[in-house]
Amino acid sequence: MTRKTYAEALIDALVEFAGEEKKFAIIGRGILGHGAQAHLVEPLMEKFGDRVTDPPTSEGAVASLGIGAAMAGTRIFAHFGTASFTMEAVNQIIHEAGVAHSMSGGQIKVPIVFHMFHGLRRGGSGQHSLSPQSMFANNPGLHLMMPTTPGDVKGMLRTALKSDTPTLFIDHAALLGTEGEVPDGPFEIPLGEAAIRREGDDVTIVATSRAVHWAEAAADQLAGDGIDAEVVDPRSVVPLDTETILKSIRKTGRLVCVEEGYQMCSIGSEIAALAAEQVFKSLKAPVARVARPPAPVPFSPPLEEAMMPGPGKIVAAVKAVMA
Amino acid sequence: MTAPPAPGDRAALFQCMVLMRRFEEEVLRVARDHPYVGRQHLHIGHEATGAGVVSALSPDDLFHTNHRNHGYLIARGADPGRALAEIMGRKDGLNGGRGGPWHLCDRSAGFQSTSAMVGGSVGLAVGAGFGLKTQGSKAISVTHFGDGTLDEGICYEALNLASLLALPVLFLCENNAKEGQRPSSMLAAKVLHDVPDALQIRSLVVDGPDADAVAAPAAYEDDHIRDGSGPVFLQADLERWPGSHQTKPEFPTGVTDLTLAWEEDRIQGPHAEWVRDHDGLRAYAKKLVADGTLSEDQVLEIDRDVLAGIEEARAFAEASPYPDPSGLLDNVFA
Repeated sequence: MTRKTYAEALIDALVEFAGEEKKFAIIGRGILGHGAQAHLVEPLMEKFGDRVTDPPTSEGAVASLGIGAAMAGTRIFAHFGTASFTMEAVNQIIHEAGVAHSMSGGQIKVPIVFHMFHGLRRGGSGQHSLSPQSMFANNPGLHLMMPTTPGDVKGMLRTALKSDTPTLFIDHAALLGTEGEVPDGPFEIPLGEAAIRREGDDVTIVATSRAVHWAEAAADQLAGDGIDAEVVDPRSVVPLDTETILKSIRKTGRLVCVEEGYQMCSIGSEIAALAAEQVFKSLKAPVARVARPPAPVPFSPPLEEAMMPGPGKIVAAVKAVMA
Repeated sequence: MTAPPAPGDRAALFQCMVLMRRFEEEVLRVARDHPYVGRQHLHIGHEATGAGVVSALSPDDLFHTNHRNHGYLIARGADPGRALAEIMGRKDGLNGGRGGPWHLCDRSAGFQSTSAMVGGSVGLAVGAGFGLKTQGSKAISVTHFGDGTLDEGICYEALNLASLLALPVLFLCENNAKEGQRPSSMLAAKVLHDVPDALQIRSLVVDGPDADAVAAPAAYEDDHIRDGSGPVFLQADLERWPGSHQTKPEFPTGVTDLTLAWEEDRIQGPHAEWVRDHDGLRAYAKKLVADGTLSEDQVLEIDRDVLAGIEEARAFAEASPYPDPSGLLDNVFA
């Protein structure tokens, strides 16, 4: 174990994989965005810069480039920058990568990772703040992973890179500078395996990506009020570890879902539906969802702040279901 | 399974063209005889272009077809019975009934995903060229598409990327834009190859119905693509088959009669001009008989053999059951 930033752990996974897989290429240079961690991409560029292609501003073609190459047998990590930009490539992601294996009767495989940064990022306004996870999860044939910690990003990225199923790997730029313990050497975190971030008996908070940290902060605050919250991080949205989530709800009898996306047809909506379908009789209170208010993301800082499903909103939602 | 015609074997090239034509005619019959939900996009009239390119390329080359794909699949050796079964949505179809007529796929014959999103295959072909290049392969990536595909934005992005990265891609544009009718493309550029030219992609124009011209590797500068010099855009000019734009099965030019290759006086009907002047299959039969490559009897014998094979293919496809819905979720994830 070594203490590292999330950004370093992500690059470690790419460097390790590039070292062992010759048929592997990276499309996109600014893998760590343009923030304080951008320079941490250097170890990758030093060792495997020849594997990195710097494409034009051309997301549809970048997706096609990666998907076609993956079909031809080269594993691909394709970086899209802000998740909003994947909307320029959504046809390729959904209609080419997502359907190819099934539509060809299992003949074609598409080993590609679509990497992007979702969410509110300060000043992103209405076109650079998208959280497309539930939109993508609504379509078949695509795995969808959302890591939260430095250790997880390394192990989950390796799993995605080795998978023959196209994987949406949705990061959050605000996580890049966070630190944590990261196992040394290559390891994999299996798909569909949720992590219990904090154990508790009174209420289950299911959160994804950056919202996990908000949920943990909320749980700390709630503990001071005598409320014992359990925080569940699904880590992969597709496939979803329903067993761990439902087991937690059976134990606590209360569910609050938290995410950065919009509430309509959200990941939280899906989990709430699962709870209603499968553990209805275990519920002691109505389910609550904490998500973005249904407005385009505004630029002005206090307005953008108001879009965030942060700790305060989570605490309020938990108290409402505990009442 | 019939092997694709070897380079320079003109009789085999002709046989391949006959197979492509007779297969599509059978697709029309299937659509007429069965309650049928799909729509057909037939390759009739494009055989000289399709078979010509297939015969000239290497078996390792990767093909990316679009919704007008059937001819390419069977020309490269996909089993006509399994292809027809797929078009009918049957269990033994090439894709197990998951693709249908727009998405025939046979990886063993060098086909990647067959996209019916207009322009989709152009992007994927550029990707395959990238994959082959990163693997140090000598194979090239090929995509065919109609002129109407150039209306789509992805084409411009993909052509740009192929040029910038000097990828080994052959862009085969089957240009059947017809003046005086609703054009299949609506481009401000009046000369199609102005588009690749502007992006520094080498472009060539070939007479699409002339099988020998298309089959000559010089037609698309095979060496240029294979030695890493970058992509080539081959514009094959074709006169659109009168049945090309249709939603209901019909034979506007009639079932093909190869004796018209040498009995031209009998060419009649509202589409006589197309049959006489623009049907590359009839033209090639006429040419091969005229230059002594095949006799009239040999032409008709080839046709009979092909038709016998098509009959077997139809019997196979019709005997194949529909897939069991219990397998609905098979292969969603790899």
